[in-house]
Amino acid sequence: MNETEPPKDPVRYIDSNVYLPYHYVAGDYRAKYLRALKDKKILGSKCSKTGKVFVMPIVNSPESFAPCDEFVEVADRGIVTTFCIVNIPVIGRSLEIPYVAASVALDGADISIFALIQEIKAEDARMGMRVEAVWKPDGERQGDHEDILHFRPTGEPDAPMESFIHRL
Amino acid sequence: MSTLRNVAFVGFAQLPVVARDEHRMATEMLYPVVVDALRQVGASRDDIDYQVSASTDYMDGRPFGFVAALDVMGSWPARQDLHLEMDGSFAAYYAWVKIQTGEVDTAIVCTHGKTSEGEPERVFNLQLEPYYHAPIGIGPTASAALQASAYMARTGTTDADLAARAARNRAAGVGNSDNQVRDAASAQQLQGSPWAIEPLRSGYVPPIGETATCLVMAAEGKAEKLCDRPVWIQGVDHRAELQTLGSRDLTRSAGTALAAKKALAMANVGSARDVDLVELLSVTPVEELILLDALGLDAAASTPVVNPSGGPLCAHPIMSTGSIRLGEAFRQLSGRAGDRGVAGAKRAIAHGAQGHCLQQNIVWVLGTEKRWA
Amino acid sequence: MFQDVVMEFPYKHSTGTTIGRFLAGLKEQKRIWGQRVPKQGVVVPPLGYSEIDGSEGGEWVAVENTGTVTACARVHTPIDHLHPSPTPFAFVLVKLDGADTALAHVVTDGLDRLRVGSRVVADWRSDEERVGSIRDIACFRLVD
Repeated sequence: MNETEPPKDPVRYIDSNVYLPYHYVAGDYRAKYLRALKDKKILGSKCSKTGKVFVMPIVNSPESFAPCDEFVEVADRGIVTTFCIVNIPVIGRSLEIPYVAASVALDGADISIFALIQEIKAEDARMGMRVEAVWKPDGERQGDHEDILHFRPTGEPDAPMESFIHRL
Repeated sequence: MSTLRNVAFVGFAQLPVVARDEHRMATEMLYPVVVDALRQVGASRDDIDYQVSASTDYMDGRPFGFVAALDVMGSWPARQDLHLEMDGSFAAYYAWVKIQTGEVDTAIVCTHGKTSEGEPERVFNLQLEPYYHAPIGIGPTASAALQASAYMARTGTTDADLAARAARNRAAGVGNSDNQVRDAASAQQLQGSPWAIEPLRSGYVPPIGETATCLVMAAEGKAEKLCDRPVWIQGVDHRAELQTLGSRDLTRSAGTALAAKKALAMANVGSARDVDLVELLSVTPVEELILLDALGLDAAASTPVVNPSGGPLCAHPIMSTGSIRLGEAFRQLSGRAGDRGVAGAKRAIAHGAQGHCLQQNIVWVLGTEKRWA
Repeated sequence: MFQDVVMEFPYKHSTGTTIGRFLAGLKEQKRIWGQRVPKQGVVVPPLGYSEIDGSEGGEWVAVENTGTVTACARVHTPIDHLHPSPTPFAFVLVKLDGADTALAHVVTDGLDRLRVGSRVVADWRSDEERVGSIRDIACFRLVD
């Protein structure tokens, strides 16, 4: 052979495909929360030391370290504590852009959940706005996170800042 | 050799290792273990200065998934915290180093991870370099099998020898209620098991299993208050080898040999033969033989006792397996090993490893006596 | 309650000059190149640096297509989407003639005759099939 070296021009890339299947166990706490959605119930768990209610339910309070073994139902309505207006499409979902992604403090919960706000013009979103869950119709709910389609404004007067500032 | 702080293991908690926990997520498994470890030492979370967590996001399938462990480790008020994408036996080293600085006196070292959620043969293929090795599809069982074939060719070790080694571990593991595999198996039975990846039979490699663990460590002055019989760290060292499989001598663990030499020197112990028991993170009988060789131990000798816990063959909850070696050494030396206690044990070696074919190894020398006056 | 999810990510790993030229050697020349590296000898396949002390790789050295198996692991039940063959095969480490390190690859035929010490030769993919990948060598096969 004549070559004293490999070709001067390198192959620039190699293609590889990472393929990783996972089997996730929900765990009893999450399973209970998800199943309750079928009955239009939103569950949280209560800190045995401070009484704070965490949604979704968790096994212990990250703040007090105490167990949260009591399940409580919280309302399916609450307050937008903070929000943002998103202009980037979500892969795999046909959401109209821009959309409002919000942090919602449900009545009875001490921390907020993330929620999609619809049936609203993006520029009308505001902190303190009262919202309610819009559920999938009876018979269609599966007991999974898609049972709540989105949240929408209720039209009630806004909540005062003092009532939600600690639940951001 | 400079004088270091005497640091001890003062507590160890784990869940029994199971094939799959159907009721809890990985971090939910860790919570009761942290609570139990603190209860064992009679401490509140606020009494612990430092926390280290060990897990791997790749196995969890969640980028930054390790952050979820913070919630169950008692991370408020804001704590000094460290996470390693490594087995717990290495995480304990970082806790030891932090305590050496004098900035902290006590630490918890936690591990979590549900091996059953991902597929280790695929996940740990990604530890290999992506141009020449990963595309071939080599996983950890395959690389262990390559190592086994090379070792057997060099030393003349036979399939029957591997079966005998595995049967020894299985016999030792019977009485250990924390093991996933608790039934004895004869060498003949194990030698009759089908191939996992030849020359490793399924009887020579652990099943998929998971748990959570928590070690409690404390410096002299605090350790004695937390434990009636603290297990003192007399020496420790860890060494990494090359990544490329074909550039290494897979039939020997140069890293373990060097780490052991350094750790034993730090401990002022002449050789590994001077300890009473050795707990190895040996996932296969071949790894066990290679490690014993690296430690300068005769595989046929009855002392030191090797893997009195049953070893990783009986329970291999990835990321926790090394912590369990330390935990077993703690139990043995502090008189908490019950019927499987090695009588009169005063010194132990606990080994941890990471990567394909024992690429990275850590050797701990532990004892009932403080090392430095 | 559980969820089965498959995470699949395509990657384009950029190669750099050493790995890139080695792969070009496979693709365009059907040649396996090694690199002389301090303290390691002729490294195949090359990285461009010494894994021992980080020093730069030196001259290119062509190695033979033939070599000796230094380790072999027979896979009786291949795993799909991971293993390179759907039927039983063996992973091998092969020290090619002229190299000081072993290359990781596969043998697909003659598995019952395959041993540590076996002599093997590279089986190349056709000109159209080679893309600049370690798998431009389809497999190694036993030299009888």
